[in-house]
Amino acid sequence: MITADRITKSYGATRAVDDLSFVVRPGVVTGFLGPNGSGKSTTMRMVMGLDRADTGTVTIDGKRFGELRWPLREVGALLEAKALHPGRTAYDHLLALAHTNAIPKERVTEVLELVGLEAVARRRVGKYSLGMSQRLGIASALLGDPGVLLFDEPVNGLDPEGILWVRNLLRGLAAEGRTVFVSSHLMSEMALTATDLVVIGRGRLIADTTVEDFIASNTEATVLVRTPDPAALTDALAASGAAVEARDDGGLLVTGMAAARIGDLAHAVGVVLHELSSVQASLEDVFMDLTSEMVDYHGHAPSGVGS
Amino acid sequence: MTTAAVPGPVALPAFEHGRAGLSGQVRSEWTKLRSVRSTWICLVIVVVAGIGLSALVSNIEAGRWSQLGLADRAQFDPVRFSQTGEFLSQFVVGVLGALIVTSEYATGSIRTTLSATSGRITVLAAKLIVIGAVIFVVTEVTAFASFFVGQAVLVAHGGRALPAGSSILDQVHSAAIPVVSISDTGALRAVFLCGVYLLLLALVACAVGFALRHTAGAISAFVGVLLVLPLIVQILPSSLSGSIERYLPSNLGLAMILVSSRRTDFAGVLLSPWAAAGLLALYTAAVVVLAGILLVRRDA
Repeated sequence: MITADRITKSYGATRAVDDLSFVVRPGVVTGFLGPNGSGKSTTMRMVMGLDRADTGTVTIDGKRFGELRWPLREVGALLEAKALHPGRTAYDHLLALAHTNAIPKERVTEVLELVGLEAVARRRVGKYSLGMSQRLGIASALLGDPGVLLFDEPVNGLDPEGILWVRNLLRGLAAEGRTVFVSSHLMSEMALTATDLVVIGRGRLIADTTVEDFIASNTEATVLVRTPDPAALTDALAASGAAVEARDDGGLLVTGMAAARIGDLAHAVGVVLHELSSVQASLEDVFMDLTSEMVDYHGHAPSGVGS
Repeated sequence: MTTAAVPGPVALPAFEHGRAGLSGQVRSEWTKLRSVRSTWICLVIVVVAGIGLSALVSNIEAGRWSQLGLADRAQFDPVRFSQTGEFLSQFVVGVLGALIVTSEYATGSIRTTLSATSGRITVLAAKLIVIGAVIFVVTEVTAFASFFVGQAVLVAHGGRALPAGSSILDQVHSAAIPVVSISDTGALRAVFLCGVYLLLLALVACAVGFALRHTAGAISAFVGVLLVLPLIVQILPSSLSGSIERYLPSNLGLAMILVSSRRTDFAGVLLSPWAAAGLLALYTAAVVVLAGILLVRRDA
């Protein structure tokens, strides 16, 4: 379990993390979402005792990082995949790490096999692709067989097969009862991998909930309707209090009324329906919606392009 | 590709007792040091430059002996000739000492290192122990090998050891090139302190690496103190520079490897060898303490 209790961290005048509290529970994968620069990496560094919170505390299974007696065996982290000496082999990198916590060298071979790097273990990591470095980072996090794991953007640079592998790995680790805290900017990936969510923007907590609840509570049910007589249906729906938005392709997006009631209403006013379907908002839509005002770095469409 | 998510059958030893400590960290730092090429390149340079320059300089000086005037003969110092490589080695051990820290800051792997231990001072101590032990062994072996190679070169030119109890006057009037025995007054100390000097410099460079965190910055600071600082002190008024000079690290190094009984020209200008070694050790301790404070207080 990871517990952040009202942590705040400023760098000069910039407040990177602002009064942030959340709990990451064991047994499920918890996604850590936020736009770039929202304080995800800073928060993870504070969990690992690398950066000190100005105020507040972060604990791992109730202990501050500095109180852990065998850190690698209690918490493993992949923070930066490329944080490796390019001239050292993967095997030596892991062996050096293993020595610090009295981990036998057989375990090094084992985690190298686990992440699929056994064939290149004796190669200098400077020659590794980003994907291979990610796998090595995951191997270092797993080295001490810890109960708490942190991964900062673990699927960056991985091919589709690798992404699937990470997804299964994370879910498997959580199923063993471990605490698994994964940051990502790939919302669709989090929707597939995570059960719980911690969402932040500009260092502040936006949501600490489950993926399901997060989507449900942040979207109104939307229904897509197609009919040969949109005008009549629009009037009838508006009269019953639903909001109707006409789409360019002739469909109507109805919010504020369930699909069944829309069907009943259409029948009552004698309008034929060609399509009636609930529209499920994706995690990505909800996230973009919720954080759009909190993004520090907006991209702008070049003028003259688009609407 | 492996799909197993469950870590396999290697059982980790129970860890309810004890804690991650210095011995594990030392093994880790040794593994890191030996597993990169730059370490071996630096150490080979120290050995080859040490022994090679000893042979070269002893050879040149031996050839000059017959043409030297009396004053120059009085300053003929076979021990110092044999340790010429020290001048180059001090920068090489400085680079190596700084690199074992700054390479981790440059790549970001210092965060991996620090998140494997709950005590940051353990990391500082382990790095100092490992780089100190390696540098000390290599530079002592090099210093003694250089000494014996240098004397052998002088002997090959017809050099001879002066009888025990000879004075500097005996040296001046000797027809043969004087050769020093390791048992001569001050010779053993000078050769031994050559390795100690390089050991202390490596520790300083390592600590400066923790303080500055950048390879270029740490090496510049190191070279600045050894090469540039003496130049600045020299342009000060001589009354001032005279009292400062002897405390400069580079001059402490010079004092440590002089066989003082043979070098009257430096009498009164430099500290005695052991005082110089002690003062340099104090400097080193001060920089290490500063590095420790910064390491503990700053975000990684």
